[in-house]
Amino acid sequence: MENIIEVNSLVKSFGDKLALKDVDFNVRKGETIGFLGPSGSGKTTTIKILTAQLAATAGDVRVFGEPVHLLKDPARMKKIGILTDNSGLYDRLTVQDNLALYADLYDVGKERIRNVLEMVSLTDEERTPVKKLSKGMKQRVTLARAILHKPALLFLDEPTSALDPTTTKHIHEGLRELNREGTTIFLTTHDMNEAEALCDRVAFLHDGEIKLLDTPQNLRTMSGSPSISLLLKDKTTVTVEPDESGAAAISGYMASGNLLTIHSNEPTLGDLFVQLTGRNL
Amino acid sequence: MMTTFSIKRVNAIFVKDWKDLQRNSYVLFTLALPLFFAAWLGRIGADSAEMIAFPIVFALVIAGAFVQAAMVAEEKEKNTLRGLLLSPASVTEVFVGKSLLSGVMTLVVVAGCIWLAEFTVPSLPMFALSIVIALIFFLAIGTLLGLLSRTVMETSIIGMPVMLIFGMSSMFKSMITNEAILTVMDYLPNELLMNIWVGLENGAAVGESFLILTVWAVVSVAATVIVYRKRRMD
Ligand SMILES: Nc1ncnc2c1ncn2[C@@H]1O[C@H](COP(=O)(O)OP(=O)(O)OP(=O)(O)O)[C@@H](O)[C@H]1O
Ligand SMILES: [Mg+2]
Repeated sequence: MENIIEVNSLVKSFGDKLALKDVDFNVRKGETIGFLGPSGSGKTTTIKILTAQLAATAGDVRVFGEPVHLLKDPARMKKIGILTDNSGLYDRLTVQDNLALYADLYDVGKERIRNVLEMVSLTDEERTPVKKLSKGMKQRVTLARAILHKPALLFLDEPTSALDPTTTKHIHEGLRELNREGTTIFLTTHDMNEAEALCDRVAFLHDGEIKLLDTPQNLRTMSGSPSISLLLKDKTTVTVEPDESGAAAISGYMASGNLLTIHSNEPTLGDLFVQLTGRNL
Repeated sequence: MMTTFSIKRVNAIFVKDWKDLQRNSYVLFTLALPLFFAAWLGRIGADSAEMIAFPIVFALVIAGAFVQAAMVAEEKEKNTLRGLLLSPASVTEVFVGKSLLSGVMTLVVVAGCIWLAEFTVPSLPMFALSIVIALIFFLAIGTLLGLLSRTVMETSIIGMPVMLIFGMSSMFKSMITNEAILTVMDYLPNELLMNIWVGLENGAAVGESFLILTVWAVVSVAATVIVYRKRRMD
């Protein structure tokens, strides 16, 4: 399959601080890949290098098959969309005017503005000056701006960090739709649920290194077999393994009428992350 | 570096800045200052050539340099410049679009000052040419100030010396006795402008002043480009 991003032996240091140490990965055309990692692990740094906002200290970074520093060309910039935590909006302008500027810069019709506002649930705020919006609303305007031109490659740096669960869910649907229409998505998050909900593959980033990179499903099975928790009528909890002995225990409690609830402890990406790095997300 | 230049994108920046300007009270107030000043001079009926030319120079400094500096610095302060540069727009397109708006606004303010101060324009084509060359100089200085400042607030601090040297130096001339300094002052853009306007009225030669003014414009544009390139990888 065709690689849209190819990164080999990428190193980035700020002075004597190593932010990325020898990072290798590829992003395939059409996939959604997520970089999951705690604060300071190097997620934003990676996105900045991939979008030519920062120069790599060493290593080879290619986007659309070309060295990343060649990205800054109108024809290529039209193919990418970027949402970072420092993407600024024009405070005094309305949501509509902010997006209209980018519609012109990307050469897309103004009617597309309505579509993207629908996707981020902001149609009611079309005529509101940006400075009157909440933090999460601003984040959604920035997201709308990043997808206005249906980019072939979309970079999202913690796209839903300031959003409530309902809006997040709606935006996830929109992103999946965009992905189905052909947009390759590179996103960073420290929310394992977001990574699971959206990503075909997830990279665990810790201290500037990729610890694992695989499908969420494969990652989950790596963290060992799930256990089963039983809550009994006397409010005690018993944990059993999903094997013969566990089955016997469960049927015993059921037969004696002691069982209140059964809960399967599916391993999460978060659990695996802790196992691997000794650190919480 | 720059492979294409799109009028459509320049226009998009211009339109955005125009919409923004209408809601930007700081910039609107700044643009109004030279007009108040010119109106006041018109009322007291000042008639020395220098007094009357002063509001026009003031308009060029305030509207050309200060407003441009504030607009550039705000794009940096609010992180919007980054967004523009990550779009298909090139640096040149962004700064040309912005300078066009500041330029048009400056011309409007200069025209307003001429009218309010009841300044009689000596020879319109030559006068207009002097204004355009000076405008390029002041816009470049404004852009440079904007690039050197991190915030809009900083532009007014860094801008003060610029204001004093390029805007008000004529006012201190009578206080200065040092010949060397006086000679240097004759080569400042604002002094050159006054020379040109007085010369146009009296029929004196203005070619040399025009030439030096053009050198200022070219040098300031070059300096701005160099500073931008240096600051690029922040
Ligand atoms: N401009 C900079 N100068 C110096 N150090 C930097 C700079 N930018 C990032 N770093 C360092 O690089 C490391 C990675 O930072 P980065 O912003 O990529 O983390 P992140 O994973 O995006 O974190 P977060 O989840 O908080 O956004 C951090 O240790 C940070 O201190
Ligand atoms: Mg970050």
